Amino acid sequence: MAFSALFVASSTFAAGDPAAGAQLNAQCQGCHGIDGFKTAFPTVYSVPKIGGQSYDYLVVALKAYRDGDRTNETMHAIASNLSDQDIDDLAAYYSGDQKD
Amino acid sequence: MFNRWVIVFLVLGTSATWFVQAEDGVTRDAAQIVGEVCVGCHGVDGNAMVLGAPKLGGQKADYLAKSLMDYKTGVRNNAVMSAFSSALSGEEMEALGKYFESQNSTLSVPK
Repeated sequence: MAFSALFVASSTFAAGDPAAGAQLNAQCQGCHGIDGFKTAFPTVYSVPKIGGQSYDYLVVALKAYRDGDRTNETMHAIASNLSDQDIDDLAAYYSGDQKD
Repeated sequence: MFNRWVIVFLVLGTSATWFVQAEDGVTRDAAQIVGEVCVGCHGVDGNAMVLGAPKLGGQKADYLAKSLMDYKTGVRNNAVMSAFSSALSGEEMEALGKYFESQNSTLSVPK
């Protein structure tokens, strides 16, 4: 019983449109589109590769940034302007794996 | 399709001895840690297709090490990753980052 409830809760039903995501990616590419790009503040480290990343993980990550559960200021500022649909579309675009 | 939380519970349940061993101050080999812990969700090469688990193969080593430290220190909050990373030293985190970066990758820098 508990497991089936968790299963339902962890499933992703939303559809993402990669073409729509492609219209939203300008603010992503300045950092994630440059190989070897590193953050400057507050600490220096490489921005992750997101091309081909898991659709579900991308959705979770963007929502966590937007909602403040992940605390990178740059990503929080960018994700704050994204709707759930925008996030699904971006995840579909970057994962290359449209879900239905 | 396998429920990811079932996998998580299985991994946690079978890793009890690993947590004990992690307290001895010995730095373990990255491949050993992966085989005992990470493999359950991320696969031995970091490319497992477990719902919600990110692909790690080919990812930037310093990003991965930072992520592990962020889980350990509570900057990032995920029950499973917080538990596993709490047993890792900074040296082991760096070794794990390099291990996964060196694996076959399906990740790319998007154009």
